[in-house]
Amino acid sequence: MRKVLVIAAVIAAASSTSPIASAHHSFAAFDMTAEKTITGVVKKVDWTNPHIWIWVDVTESSGATETYGFEGMTPNFLSRRGWTRSSMQPGMKVSVTFRPMKDGKPGGMFVSGTLPDGKVLTMRGGETGQ
Amino acid sequence: MMNRKRRVGALLVAAITVIASGTFVDAQGFKTKPPTPADWSALAKLPDFSGVWEAVTVGRGGGAGRAGGPPRGPQLTPAYAEKKRALEGRRAEDNETANCLPPGMPGVMGQPYPYEFMLTPGKVTIVGEAYMQVRHIYTDGRPMPTDPDPTFNGTSIGRWEGDTLVVETIAFSDTTNMDRNTPHSDKMKIVERFRLTEPDRMTIETTVTDPEALMAPWTTTRTLARHRDWTTREYICEENNRNYVDAQGKAGINLKDSPAEKKEQE
Repeated sequence: MRKVLVIAAVIAAASSTSPIASAHHSFAAFDMTAEKTITGVVKKVDWTNPHIWIWVDVTESSGATETYGFEGMTPNFLSRRGWTRSSMQPGMKVSVTFRPMKDGKPGGMFVSGTLPDGKVLTMRGGETGQ
Repeated sequence: MMNRKRRVGALLVAAITVIASGTFVDAQGFKTKPPTPADWSALAKLPDFSGVWEAVTVGRGGGAGRAGGPPRGPQLTPAYAEKKRALEGRRAEDNETANCLPPGMPGVMGQPYPYEFMLTPGKVTIVGEAYMQVRHIYTDGRPMPTDPDPTFNGTSIGRWEGDTLVVETIAFSDTTNMDRNTPHSDKMKIVERFRLTEPDRMTIETTVTDPEALMAPWTTTRTLARHRDWTTREYICEENNRNYVDAQGKAGINLKDSPAEKKEQE
């Protein structure tokens, strides 16, 4: 329930008519009503602006490997809230919860990720759409 | 050819004369003087705005400045309400910031990113981390230029009213909006009042007026918290921007040159 409220607040913020509006981009490319979780191996982390991108190799049920891309917040926001550029590293087996891309491409907006040691990384309340 | 050379020469002589006298005179006759030790000392008497600030609501899953309910939007004149309806009719999924174009004023001050304030004699400089924006606010008593070129962040003149920094800004690029889907006229004026309410809390009251676009002044307030241990970071929006909005307003994600795309090509 709390999660639903937070999401509602994020969406409300993004669609507000205040000059204090969401930055950089909207959530239009993501299906904000859906949430999926996949497990795979981190291939690469782009610790870059305007957003970090976490690339994860996922073995599909067919046996083929697909590389998923997950968009996160800016490193500027995250580095002030506990993340570092090596919080997620290539080779780590992770599970990622995300809001899928509307166009069906593999990936989406990063919501949370669970590391091999069980530690859960989130966007720390950040509006991923910013 | 000779005439041009002679003119350039005369200008150079004039410039050197001004430099030698230590005083610069702008087109409106305002004299800019080099700061004296007393000018630097005088800064200590002003409120301490120094350091890195961020809106208190950033990271709390909501936009900034919304305590007490949604802010009142601008009351548009019929002509601008019609413009807004037309823009909304496009049903654009995003705006040009998705393509890394900075928002301009007033949006540049509403970002979920920090701001660094720097006071030097006769000037307040604000660095907005998002899009690495800089605002130059002259507080040396110079008049507002009569007809400045329109720019994203406008042309700003400031003055101290007691402990409040009052900043007036005019001349905004017509590629920016005052609010979502809401254009401004070339007569938009923005007045900001910056003041400390606690040692590490600042409020910014922003009032937008526009005789063509607005029925009444539009005022919003934002509260910033100071983070003494923070520094501003680089923000190169073009570094790895995979978001876009196209000419029809359709938003999307570009996976070009990404590990996912390379995988597809293998």
